[in-house]
Amino acid sequence: MKMIKGSAVFLLAVLLLLLAGCIDNPSNQSTSGGSSETESEAPEVEEGEEVVSIGYSGPLSGPAAYYGERTLNGLKLAVDEINNNGGFEIEDQTYKFNLVSLDDKYLPNETAANAKRLLQENDTPVIFSPHSGGIKAMQVFNEQENFLIGAYTSEPAVTAEGNTLTVRVPPSYDGYLEPFTSYAMENHGMKLAALPTSSQYGKDWTEAIVPYWEEQGGEVVYNSSIDFSKDTDFFTLVTNALKENPDVLFIGGPSEPTAKVAKQARELGFEGGFMIMDQAKLDEMEAVTGSYESLEGSVGVLPLANSEYPGTPAFIEKYKEEHNEVPGSEAGYHYVAMNILMEAMKAAGSVDDPKAIRDHIQDGLDALPEEKEVYTIEEIGEDGGFATDLSIAAVENGEIVTIEVND
Amino acid sequence: MDIFIQQVFNGLTIGSVYSLVALGLTLVYGILHIPNFAHGALYMLGAYITLTMMLLWGIHYWIAMAVSVLVVGLLGVLMDRLVFHPLRNAPPIHDKIAAIGILLFLEAFAQLIWGADYRTMETPYGQVVNLFGMTATTQRVLINIGAVVVMILLYLFLKKTYAGSTIIAMAQNREGASLVGINTSRVAMLTFMLSGGLAAVAASLSAPINLVFPGMGHLVILKAFVIIILGGMGSVPGAILGGYILGFTESLGATYISNDYKDIIAFLMLVIILSIKPKGLFSREGF
Repeated sequence: MKMIKGSAVFLLAVLLLLLAGCIDNPSNQSTSGGSSETESEAPEVEEGEEVVSIGYSGPLSGPAAYYGERTLNGLKLAVDEINNNGGFEIEDQTYKFNLVSLDDKYLPNETAANAKRLLQENDTPVIFSPHSGGIKAMQVFNEQENFLIGAYTSEPAVTAEGNTLTVRVPPSYDGYLEPFTSYAMENHGMKLAALPTSSQYGKDWTEAIVPYWEEQGGEVVYNSSIDFSKDTDFFTLVTNALKENPDVLFIGGPSEPTAKVAKQARELGFEGGFMIMDQAKLDEMEAVTGSYESLEGSVGVLPLANSEYPGTPAFIEKYKEEHNEVPGSEAGYHYVAMNILMEAMKAAGSVDDPKAIRDHIQDGLDALPEEKEVYTIEEIGEDGGFATDLSIAAVENGEIVTIEVND
Repeated sequence: MDIFIQQVFNGLTIGSVYSLVALGLTLVYGILHIPNFAHGALYMLGAYITLTMMLLWGIHYWIAMAVSVLVVGLLGVLMDRLVFHPLRNAPPIHDKIAAIGILLFLEAFAQLIWGADYRTMETPYGQVVNLFGMTATTQRVLINIGAVVVMILLYLFLKKTYAGSTIIAMAQNREGASLVGINTSRVAMLTFMLSGGLAAVAASLSAPINLVFPGMGHLVILKAFVIIILGGMGSVPGAILGGYILGFTESLGATYISNDYKDIIAFLMLVIILSIKPKGLFSREGF
């Protein structure tokens, strides 16, 4: 009996592995899969070199795992590159980075626990997190415990409360309200139906866009949200949103389910345009819908692959080599943030004083070599937010076109 | 009026998927009294196996689905043999903990093998069709027809075949079934096989209208538990009716009351039904 059981397990394992092999999904081939709880790749250190640990806490399992992995990949790429080039020097002392990543399953309380653990075990001067809930949880104690937060979120609230040790990497979504609204109104019409994701971020975004749309003379005919972690099918919601014949549909959330919402809206006969929150990226949505045709008339953020910053092509090339897919802005922003951090440490003359590093971020931005500029970031605001030129795109005649933003 | 017909159809579609998932869950509960929390993971694996077949070897959708039914069914059997069978004399809490363990294992396993990314399943049935003033895609029509066909087949199997009768016998009285010479371990395996197969059918049918990712089981499993409580734990007609009730409450509740409260409406229904019929719509004798 034991033998039968044993061989059955073995056979099944073989079968599943065979099955798994790899799915040939041309646009989306994931090479990194597993997520052990702590992943720390200590660099090879030669004599006299010291190691600086950098913390990361993000979703590495669960529904948001794909997003988490992509953010981490950007950091990893930058760290590996810096270490392979022999690290960096401060006052004749050579340092290398050690990236320590922990899984928080997208839960703010886990982020806070992870941050404590990173501080105690690895003494990390900087901790990155890619979601506003986790960032806010860390902001409760980051000034007392003295560490810098690398905040990857477009939520303006994380920098609005005057936390002195937070650096917000991507531009805040406030800036998108005006160009998105004017494009959608000019090209489609005045009736808006809002159908965003039900996360806190989605709700805040909606609360910002709805009054703005009405101020501009538009009308909001439907306002509800989709919970992507609970709804199996979006037809019901989309049917209701289309009942009042809106001209524009405001959608958003992770790219892939958002693309499904757009596709189902087209199936139900919607002919207007989409206004897409900055979390979803047009190129990733296209991978789901199959072509830009069903996204015709959409306005959203410019995909990294279509951007023309000095360091973008080289970064895309490197990322493709490593991960076999085109990177999105998550990876790009993390990569550039890590490089800026290194330059700031050099300028501050310290690797373990978060306050000094924060004070020298501007010097770091100035010192960043052009070939590393995956995004061109001019300056860091008083509040700790990076000021990046907004890059906005629309889909016209089945192609992505860049939209000029007037300041 | 158009909206009403459209939403009835939407409710029917989503109800079909819920019913199929709940059926697998209720069968296992009826026979073995195990709340199989890992059922959502079987659902997820069903979608992944179908998808892998289609992408890796270019196998046709229906054949891929058949393979998936077989593989996930066998996986269900294996689950019974390796985990639940050895635990048959343990206190009931052990089964529950084991089921949660399997769920976590299978989810991490899927993420390890297929990666965490969202994938799309393209079927040859994406065309939009207009019927009686409502819009649907062929795939959605297939979900509805497919679910009904599977339910009829399941009914015929349970009522008209010898193997099916042994399942019913065991659900009614475990000792009695054993006394008249029914091999209870064989019946348990058969039940797990059916349960896994049903999960695979549900997943393969519904995956094209959503996405395939390691956490997709969570979308349905909680609702499936609500359904089998509503329909009566272990009752087959209860699972079917409960699935459609939940589907309709969601679609019509979202339309005529409020989308933001549609979950509240569903749970309110549960409370009302349970206060009138505390054992659910069908008590287990109605198997």
